[in-house]
Amino acid sequence: MNAITGHMRETARHGPDGADVPPALALAAISKTFGDFSALKGVDFDLKPGEIHALLGENGAGKSTLMNVVAGIYTPDSGTVSVHGRPVAIRGPSDAQQLGVGMVHQHYKLVKPFTGLENILMAHPEGSYRQARKRLQAMTKDALDGIGFDVDLNRPVESLSVSEQQRIEILKVLVAGAKVIILDEPTAVLTDDEAVRLFTAIRNLAREGHSVVLVTHKLAEALTYADRITVMRGGQVVRSVLPSEVGEAELTALIVGSTIDERERRSGNAGKSVLKLRAVERRDDRGPGLRNLSFEVRSGEIYGIAGVGGNGQSALVEIVTGLSQVDSGNIWLDGHDDVTNQPSERMRRCGIACIPSDRQSDAIAGDLPVADNYAINGVLEGRYGSVLRVDRRRIDADTQDAVRRFEVMGVRGSHQKAGLLSGGNAQKLVIAREFSGTPSLILAHSPSRGLDIRASAAVHDHLRAARDRGAGVILISEDLDEIMLLSDRIGVMSRGSIVAEFETPADRQAIGKAMVGHG
Amino acid sequence: MADASISAPTRRSLFGRFNLEVRGHMPMGQQMLVVSAGILLGLLLSALLLMAYGVKPSGLLNEFVVAIFGSQRNIASVLAYAAPLTIVGLSAALAFKARFWNIGIEGQVIFGAIGATLVANYDIGPPSLRLVLMALAAIGAGMLWIALPLFLKIRLHVNEIISTLLMNYIAFNLLLHLLYGPWKDPQSAFPNSKLFEDVERLMAIGWQNLNLSLPIAVVLVLLAGWLLGVSRYGFLLNFVYANARMARALGVKIVGLTLLFALASGALSGFGGFIISTGIESRLTQSFFVGYGFSGILIAFLARNNPFAVAFFALLISVLMVAGQSLQVFYQVPFAMVQLIQAIIVICVAASEFFIHYRLRLLE
Amino acid sequence: MDFVVNWLANVPGFAVPFALAALGLIICEKSGVLNLGAEGYMLVGAMAGAGAMLSLQVHPLLALVIAALAAGTLSLLFALLVIALRVNQVISGLVIVFFAQGLTAMLATSNGWTNRAFSGLGDLNFGPLSSLPFVGRILFQQDLVVYLTIVIFAVTVHVLYATHIGMRLRAVGENPEAADAAGIPVGWYRFGAVVVGCMLIGLAGGYLTVAVSKIWVDGMSGGRGWIAIALVIFARWQPWPALAGAFLFGCIEALIPRMAAIGLQLPQYFVLMLPYIVTLGVMVWSSLSAGRRSGQPGALGQPFVREERH
Repeated sequence: MNAITGHMRETARHGPDGADVPPALALAAISKTFGDFSALKGVDFDLKPGEIHALLGENGAGKSTLMNVVAGIYTPDSGTVSVHGRPVAIRGPSDAQQLGVGMVHQHYKLVKPFTGLENILMAHPEGSYRQARKRLQAMTKDALDGIGFDVDLNRPVESLSVSEQQRIEILKVLVAGAKVIILDEPTAVLTDDEAVRLFTAIRNLAREGHSVVLVTHKLAEALTYADRITVMRGGQVVRSVLPSEVGEAELTALIVGSTIDERERRSGNAGKSVLKLRAVERRDDRGPGLRNLSFEVRSGEIYGIAGVGGNGQSALVEIVTGLSQVDSGNIWLDGHDDVTNQPSERMRRCGIACIPSDRQSDAIAGDLPVADNYAINGVLEGRYGSVLRVDRRRIDADTQDAVRRFEVMGVRGSHQKAGLLSGGNAQKLVIAREFSGTPSLILAHSPSRGLDIRASAAVHDHLRAARDRGAGVILISEDLDEIMLLSDRIGVMSRGSIVAEFETPADRQAIGKAMVGHG
Repeated sequence: MADASISAPTRRSLFGRFNLEVRGHMPMGQQMLVVSAGILLGLLLSALLLMAYGVKPSGLLNEFVVAIFGSQRNIASVLAYAAPLTIVGLSAALAFKARFWNIGIEGQVIFGAIGATLVANYDIGPPSLRLVLMALAAIGAGMLWIALPLFLKIRLHVNEIISTLLMNYIAFNLLLHLLYGPWKDPQSAFPNSKLFEDVERLMAIGWQNLNLSLPIAVVLVLLAGWLLGVSRYGFLLNFVYANARMARALGVKIVGLTLLFALASGALSGFGGFIISTGIESRLTQSFFVGYGFSGILIAFLARNNPFAVAFFALLISVLMVAGQSLQVFYQVPFAMVQLIQAIIVICVAASEFFIHYRLRLLE
Repeated sequence: MDFVVNWLANVPGFAVPFALAALGLIICEKSGVLNLGAEGYMLVGAMAGAGAMLSLQVHPLLALVIAALAAGTLSLLFALLVIALRVNQVISGLVIVFFAQGLTAMLATSNGWTNRAFSGLGDLNFGPLSSLPFVGRILFQQDLVVYLTIVIFAVTVHVLYATHIGMRLRAVGENPEAADAAGIPVGWYRFGAVVVGCMLIGLAGGYLTVAVSKIWVDGMSGGRGWIAIALVIFARWQPWPALAGAFLFGCIEALIPRMAAIGLQLPQYFVLMLPYIVTLGVMVWSSLSAGRRSGQPGALGQPFVREERH
């Protein structure tokens, strides 16, 4: 096992612009299909030694798929991959590792009950177990010092914070001797401060000769930290540019194709309270739970809840929809008074609708028809036939009507399986269902996650329409842009409580400070 | 390890040569084709196995086709066995549809039959109502036998596969206790209960030796079809089956539905015990239940929990059982072969489902 | 006192099948493969052991090896289904049990192995040690497999927790995606765990006929495979607690014939229900005391497909 610094020095000899040096990574005409869906359509890409190269695009543009091909997770249908000028066949992650390619996936590939060290050790079964452990312990310490990271490698990974877990992932890649490092949406779950620290480390790595692909959908990140930017859209490369050559507007246009102008539009008339939470407490072994959580939502307003994920947002959704119980405190609902710890079927009947963050597992039954997925709320409320007989004909008619009104595309018939819909259309189906009972309170948890800009705009329009109709809307999102765009009032959630509230127009800096201030 | 010599990996593993892809969706017609191919393969392997046992191809044709479909008597015996098989198949299907792995059908059949025999042995109720009381006792006993695993599953998350299975062994030992002890027929050398009286047997329907069990099974198939396909319970249960998390989030009463369908499953199994003991054996024996438990499970699997498909596969297994009996007589093929063949068919069908979910692509 | 010595001296023989089967299950399930077929492998092992004794007249220890190999062979079918073809592991496990029930009954009947007694594995003799009062009979008059079981446990624990192979195996069972990304061949590790685990279960079955009953009867494993599965849950997938649990069940099973021997008049069939009722009790106890972590491998029962899109 060579010391990591050995590699670093070796590659550092080539300058990032050395024209005679072959690219660290070159992809030519890569194509990949999943079933009928063509995810990559003849993509070319190259990465120079010592370069930080941002791969920019919307969710679903094919960025992660492309990099998974390089990491050996997916096998391409056609096209060639070259590493340091030599064409290679990558048939699995271990091939990629041998070639010096390492990827930090968006969803970390860590064995949770294992310690950080064991997670690294499992890729390196050389020598006796005890010796390998000892050797690795020393090596990782050096590597940590080298890039200025700090993490306890002897604690089970499941007890570490996400940013610490990410450091272990990066360490894993470095110990494996990777010269080409791919980071897939590395800042998705980090606070701003943590992100800045991460980019400092990445810059250090590049300076020492590593080549880095930064997969991201965040414009600012790419413009600030990358040496070069390649924009992907719909499984194809749109253009490669230098950050100095483009402005934000131009880059946006490249990402989206055509620009959509989504303007802010505030509510004029917030009315009476529809939901009040008072001093709600809930203990939770896995997360921060809820601590002294109090806020209220009025009719005719969108109340945005900003905050880094994992600060109690999911628990908040669960207690308001009746999926889990509070330990103390009250939930009050207009027209129903105290509804603390009522079961979910009761909360639903009180006019609460919910667009959950994990569509596939919480809002859609992929194996069942579109019609069933649309009608289940109505069936539960007794709208379609009796207990003895479900009125299929009325369900079909209503589904067709809703599909038309909510512009759910790709529905060939109401008996088609809902799982065949694309993310955006599945979300529209969920909204169509949730809005079908004209709810008085709507919880939307990351409603545009994974959607393209057009679909997000449609989702936003629906939320605004519900507000204008007089419903109270809670918008929970990790995307501060989305919160700023839609909300009439903003609460910041941190460690299980609302730590600050802002009237709009709000100061973005102040919100950001509140988000991390209590960390 | 960190030897980053840049070369194309040449290692090719067995798995590496193929690429496994997840299929999005396969049309229903194609799926049925794949499953049919699986069944055919299973039958083919079984035929080879029987031939290895010395049964000639002509013998196979004779036992499975000519002998069965050539005589009304044999068709009647196929139908007679198909009735209880359908009932236990429905029992399994209802439970599986509620994501409750009821592997305890055998125990519920035994306990149901014990319940029915209890009513018969002690002449409970007027003779005109005797059969109805026996049926009700069987249904109650079947539900009782599933109630404990059901309770443990819902309240304590105890794995129902193992708990229902353990209940089988407990029921079996209880049966032996009764047959070797208090309920033993003194006129018989074997551990049997005494023969049921005429009022305690299912009425004949006037064709061959068939009795009411057949029309009852048909009615139950229709009822199950209605429950799963038409009623609100079935509509909601589809969501519990497809995505329980979502169903819970939308306010579906999952516990209630699970209770309803699992208890219905226990009731059906118990009723199956009544049908077998009164319709076929006319008494309790120490082996009257053998094979029904696992056949019910396999039938429900083959039928993908669809009641009408359950009836179809029950007929298929029934043909196998009747043919198996004559193979035993004429070729000395052990009756265990019937169980083996069922398992082979299910293995082949299960294996064939791979091609419904995945696609293999050869690399280069 | 005699009663206690007689009883305890019989415990190891009854505990060994539970212990070996539970250990086999642990190995298999640590790799993430749910194995409900234990009852089937035990049956196949038991029949193969009896068959080898009756038809080949081999040494009892060789018969045990044959038992393990027979179960290992059947496990190839299971491995094909769940690892290569990604068939539902619950269905696959159950159908293996049904298959084994049919297969063993058929083979034993047609080979005339049913209900034929043979002289099986004898106890070791440690000379003076064996004739020590009390402890002599309990500790030093057992067959070789009893002592071997302890060794097998120690070796397995070492491999699982202090070698690369063991750690990688556990990684595969906890998070196959992470293991795959670390270059571990998930399919082959699972394959190895299934075959080795099932061979141990087969050995447990073989021990039932070759060393305990010395006769084959259809379905003679009598639910011990299922009890072993419950034991694994009870032991939270850890070998030493599983051995302790096996000892507990050995005590119960050894008690049943002892009670009859001293002339206790208990309804026989209710006594025979005891192991199953205790198993139910043990499962209830495990679930009541499980708390957050049941020790279950994170990916237990889930097939691994590298290309699955998330």
